[in-house]
Amino acid sequence: MNGFIKTLFGDKNTLLVAGLSILIAAGLLRTPAHELAGLALPLCLLAGAGYLARR
Amino acid sequence: MIGILLATFSAAVVEWVEAYTIILAVALSIGWGRALGAAGAALGALAVLTGLGSFALTRIHDLAILQLVVGVFLTLFGVRWLGKAVARGAGLKKLHDEDAEFAELRARRDINEAKAAWFIAFNGMLLEGLEVWLIVVALGVQTHHTLIAAAAAIAALAAVAAAGVLIRKPLSQVPENTIKFVVGSGILSFGTFWVLESLGYAWPLGDFTLLALFVFYGLGGLALVRLYAPKAKAKVA
Repeated sequence: MNGFIKTLFGDKNTLLVAGLSILIAAGLLRTPAHELAGLALPLCLLAGAGYLARR
Repeated sequence: MIGILLATFSAAVVEWVEAYTIILAVALSIGWGRALGAAGAALGALAVLTGLGSFALTRIHDLAILQLVVGVFLTLFGVRWLGKAVARGAGLKKLHDEDAEFAELRARRDINEAKAAWFIAFNGMLLEGLEVWLIVVALGVQTHHTLIAAAAAIAALAAVAAAGVLIRKPLSQVPENTIKFVVGSGILSFGTFWVLESLGYAWPLGDFTLLALFVFYGLGGLALVRLYAPKAKAKVA
């Protein structure tokens, strides 16, 4: 069961990286700078991948 | 569709290679018949899960919600694989070594007990296959190509099994980390694309954005490897 949950959601850090990235992009979509969301999400996720690599 | 085929096939090769190492180690203890029986039982469970997963997702009739659910799962999966591949590429983590994995399994005491060994094979195949299952269901349902995605995963299984029959030792020559890097970038591209589209964002390049995102994550990942490699070397020294 643990393996199943870990496969679906990853660990805490993965959830944090993906969750924060999506929240930032979703927040940007509700501002006048909404077009930047398409840049913000990939940038946040790449930075997140870098963070996960160092953990 | 080609992107889905390639992503599923490549991801499945990595997972089946790892599963094959486990089956091989178990087969040397309890024989091929029992080891393959355990692998078959795990594949049966995965087939049931694929059916259930697809059924559950096709019950979601709102396209935006389906895109969001699938996109979030693919994002979680893709960012994890890309992060791991960067860490291994830069030397921050050891590369996955099938020979070492095989030796470790063979050294386990319980591998010589028939029941315990059967469960090692079953669990190994199931856990490695779960990632394949996730990709097949997520990519397949969203694009209405579940059968094609499943066929790609089965083709990968056949390719690994054929290589295993020929070589009869761990498939350590398969460049697992390179495949993981490429597949991680690809899966993360699909995830990013669908998450933002589900939230109402219109990608300026339409479907071509997927290719642009793939290049972005690929080049970005390589830049991260370059950035971290000297730090990893300094740590070792």
